[in-house]
Amino acid sequence: MSTTTEKLLTKTDRNNSALKALLLFTLLLCLFGAGLILTPYDPVQADFLHRLTSPSASHWFGTDHLGRDIATRLLYGAGWSVGLAFLVSSLGAIIGTAVGLLAGAGQSWLDSVLMRVTDSFFAFPELVAAIAIAGILGPSTNNMILALTLVSWMRYARLVRTLTREISHRDFILQARLNRLPQWLVFWCHYLPNIRMSLLVLWTSLWSRTILAISGLSFLGFGVQPPKAEWGAMLLDGKPYMQSAPHVMIFPGVAILITVLALNLIGDHLRDRLNKQH
Amino acid sequence: MNHPFPLLKHLATLLGKRLAGLVTILLGVSLLTFTLYYISPGDKALTISNARYMGEGDVPPEVVEAIREEFALDEPFPVQFWHWISGFLQGDFGKSLVSQEDVLLIFLPNLAETLELAATALALGLSLAFLLSLVSVWKPGSIWDRLAVAFSSIGAAVPSYWLGLILILVFAAKLQWLPSFGSGSLEQLVLPAVTLGFWITTSQTRLLRTFLLEASEAPFIEALRLRGVPEGEIFRRHILRHAMIPAIAMIGLDFAALLEGSIIVEVIFSRGGVGSLFVGSILSRDYPLLLFLVLFAACSYVILNSLIELLQDWLSPHSLQGNRPSLTGGVKKS
Repeated sequence: MSTTTEKLLTKTDRNNSALKALLLFTLLLCLFGAGLILTPYDPVQADFLHRLTSPSASHWFGTDHLGRDIATRLLYGAGWSVGLAFLVSSLGAIIGTAVGLLAGAGQSWLDSVLMRVTDSFFAFPELVAAIAIAGILGPSTNNMILALTLVSWMRYARLVRTLTREISHRDFILQARLNRLPQWLVFWCHYLPNIRMSLLVLWTSLWSRTILAISGLSFLGFGVQPPKAEWGAMLLDGKPYMQSAPHVMIFPGVAILITVLALNLIGDHLRDRLNKQH
Repeated sequence: MNHPFPLLKHLATLLGKRLAGLVTILLGVSLLTFTLYYISPGDKALTISNARYMGEGDVPPEVVEAIREEFALDEPFPVQFWHWISGFLQGDFGKSLVSQEDVLLIFLPNLAETLELAATALALGLSLAFLLSLVSVWKPGSIWDRLAVAFSSIGAAVPSYWLGLILILVFAAKLQWLPSFGSGSLEQLVLPAVTLGFWITTSQTRLLRTFLLEASEAPFIEALRLRGVPEGEIFRRHILRHAMIPAIAMIGLDFAALLEGSIIVEVIFSRGGVGSLFVGSILSRDYPLLLFLVLFAACSYVILNSLIELLQDWLSPHSLQGNRPSLTGGVKKS
């Protein structure tokens, strides 16, 4: 990419928006913490006297069909949606990195075997595979985590393998080899520090994708089950009441939107910094 | 290079390599699909008989045993796998457990319905994405450019099922302009197609914009300009064409997005189609149908992407040196 294009891309897309995104994300975190401490309501306890009330001073985002405070449920739901996505993308990163390192720096037969396996996993459209796995094993949070992890590690494996191959003939790696450093130490001290930035970029983008996937699966009924306050499950819960009380479905959606947007912008910013380094 | 037709030979090697890679991946894909079935919990003979004789109370043990025999459920994994895949290779895709109809006969009308939705969504989504990216590169850095980028960034964060619900709420429930469910008529196609098309637009706009910007920065464009070629012609004949080569690769990703999107959209709008068939087959544990659909999704995705990669190899010889990101493709030797 030529420098002019890069400048344009940077200028319009990002520079200040990345800062805004970080601010937004920090703000969200603070709000999250403050909300959890300050809220007087319980996320699962039903209150039948206040069903489907509109947003008001006592219930900022209104209540759902069981009279539960939606704002409180959104706060607790962040743990499910964002936290589980964090877990899944991290698990995927660990598995994928291990596979990628082995394939990129190991024997050539191991490389082709591992890459064939990766390609085969990669051939399934993510959501199709995740729904099939989670559905067949039975809808539950654990099975959803398993399903999403199984469809998320391949991107890391591909990336890490490519990067590993690029640096495996560099002097410092050869030096380490000649010094008879054990393989795991070479991986840990020489490969990983050189690929961690690229990994971070991919990890951020997969984190936000996984938030969408988790809430999507839960919305279809294959993920986190109600009454747990996952955002997608809240949408599923509120769907029958959305005509009379639109707030039950508007706020969970907005929560997903803002979180994913903030993570995407941070990811874009990280990618820009990575591109500038090279 | 003493071969009489070097280009043909080159193409043949390319095809050969791709085909070999394709066959390996398809084998891997079918193994994985079958493993999914193999590890599924519960007694499969019981599941099958319950699905087959639904609502008739307890199935006698002899029937369950007969089913166990029929589907070779007691055999080890390789035997069962062969039992299953050999049917596929002979064009026999099995019968649905629920309706006892041929899987293929159930599948084809649903595929037609999904294709109708997908084609409309693709046409809507891609033309809007194209328009936005054109506006964007018309004056890079201008307010319009920023608006287009902001639109696609925010759009990419909108969950599609939520968008579908909002559209139903506004256009079907409040304004009552359009029906919110069912399929068949044109009005019923609008909301689902817009939901799915929006997904395509947001994922493509920024990519198209980048491709166009990169193409317009290429050195040969400057050379054309110095030779006095009119701007309009440069744009139409050179920048656009140049940008289309990477853009073709995105079609493959679009296809996956369409498949995934159609699941969610068809469920929300209660439409028929491959997506809702898929969800239905999971809920009713209709294994033959489910395995067929999963295998169909993976195989069509792989084959489509192989075709695209072949097309790209053919379009741009220099990509053979391997700077091109591989979508599904064979292992790249570096």
